[in-house]
Amino acid sequence: MIQFDQVTKRYPGGNEALKNLSFTIDTGEMVFLAGHSGAGKSTLLKLVAGIERATSGSVIVSGQNLSKLRNSQIPYVRQHIGMVFQDHKLLFDRSVFDNVMLPLDIIGFDRRDAARRVRAALDKVGLLSKEKTMPIRLSGGEQQRLCIARAVVHRPSLLLADEPSANLDRAYALDIMELFKSFHQVGVSVVISAHDETLMEDYGRRIIRLKEGQFAA
Amino acid sequence: MKHYLYLNWQSARQALGKIVRQPFGSLLTLLMLSIALALPLSLYLSVSSIQEWAGRLTATPQITLFMEQSAEEADLAAVSSTLTKHPRIQSFQFIGKKQALSDLEKRNGLAGLSEGLTDNPLPDAFVVTPKTLEPHELEMLQKELSGLPMVETAQFDARWAKRLYGMVEMGKQLTWFLGAALGIALILVTYNAVRMQILARRDEIEVAKLIGAPDSFIRRPFMYHAMWQGLLAGLAAWGLTSWLVATANPAIHDFAQLYNEAVSLRGLTPLELAVVLAVSAILAMLGARLASDHHLRQIQPR
Repeated sequence: MIQFDQVTKRYPGGNEALKNLSFTIDTGEMVFLAGHSGAGKSTLLKLVAGIERATSGSVIVSGQNLSKLRNSQIPYVRQHIGMVFQDHKLLFDRSVFDNVMLPLDIIGFDRRDAARRVRAALDKVGLLSKEKTMPIRLSGGEQQRLCIARAVVHRPSLLLADEPSANLDRAYALDIMELFKSFHQVGVSVVISAHDETLMEDYGRRIIRLKEGQFAA
Repeated sequence: MKHYLYLNWQSARQALGKIVRQPFGSLLTLLMLSIALALPLSLYLSVSSIQEWAGRLTATPQITLFMEQSAEEADLAAVSSTLTKHPRIQSFQFIGKKQALSDLEKRNGLAGLSEGLTDNPLPDAFVVTPKTLEPHELEMLQKELSGLPMVETAQFDARWAKRLYGMVEMGKQLTWFLGAALGIALILVTYNAVRMQILARRDEIEVAKLIGAPDSFIRRPFMYHAMWQGLLAGLAAWGLTSWLVATANPAIHDFAQLYNEAVSLRGLTPLELAVVLAVSAILAMLGARLASDHHLRQIQPR
């Protein structure tokens, strides 16, 4: 599903976020990314989503070499990826329902099928009763779950989550981990980054540990 | 394909809804656009109305020969025969003094004029229609005819009309120039309006890009917004010019009446209106396209 081959990412200004990194994540695998902030976790996820481009080396996602794609082709790669952000990146000028509708609008789903899918996704994260609410009135945990509903509504084959539980208390964080696990169980590849390793260890999945842009010993 | 059309229809509807819901926000831009359109349109209508009227005048340039008051029957016959034989004259018409006077009375409502006059002050006249329409040749002919015996003057009726025609030509060029300049203004105004919209919705655009929205998806609502604005501005400009024509016409009519002419400004024909609407919509969309191409590239998710 994801293949990094000698990937280096250097930001303008000379800061090397990733150094000569090579690894593979199989289709259907659930993987944790661990490391302190600044270790390169976010950069790694951004390279997978095509938000940043590798300085050298190749990033292959679902068989597509992202370094070789033109800018105009990147959106179509992203349409097959679901992304969960630490800061949620919700749109506060529209309802919970319309937030989740956005990815389907972009792909161009039939409006009626889309509404059914949006409700299914909201039901899955336990927000169905709040579909008409504006996101500003949701709690932090609910906002994160809304973000997850938006990430999965178009049934992506790959789910990326950047510190999804960073600002949540432990009970909420576990809730959200369980959600990711359930998506993994239906065949979705899942990559989750976190700086708190205690959450990951219970799951017995592979953990990629980063330190200063390299694998931690 | 069906879906693509549906998406476009959806965007078009939503964009129109937005303009309707925020009439005051759109009003200022709309007003600017419609004035930018109304100016060259009014000039165009004035020029083309005058041109139509001047065209009627110059269609058959004529030279009028006024005979001396002392001209006799024999002199008239001599001139008449010269004119008949002249190779560059198509036809001519003789208007005797009596006829001229009665025409004058009839035409200008001066009945009873002749009763107050002891003598008929009007001369005998020949109205000559030349074969040529070329201004230089007409002038030569005029000179030649004025040299005939007992001819006082040969007046080239259409000379002032020709001059008018030249001014109309200049007016036309001015219309084009003004139209082009304000067309560019229209593009710039929509460019700026769309730029402001893009900057105001920066967060939304960034999120949409993160979720995989291609530029075409993000651009679509702006394009439709511009299209509606162009169309509405076109309609408003039509309204403005129609109002101008309706207000100006009575005054023009009265003025023209003094010279015994029927002149009036005309409104836009349906075809012209369609062209105006299409052009303003296209120019507005061009402005939107330039703005979105330029500014969407600058908004990249981080």
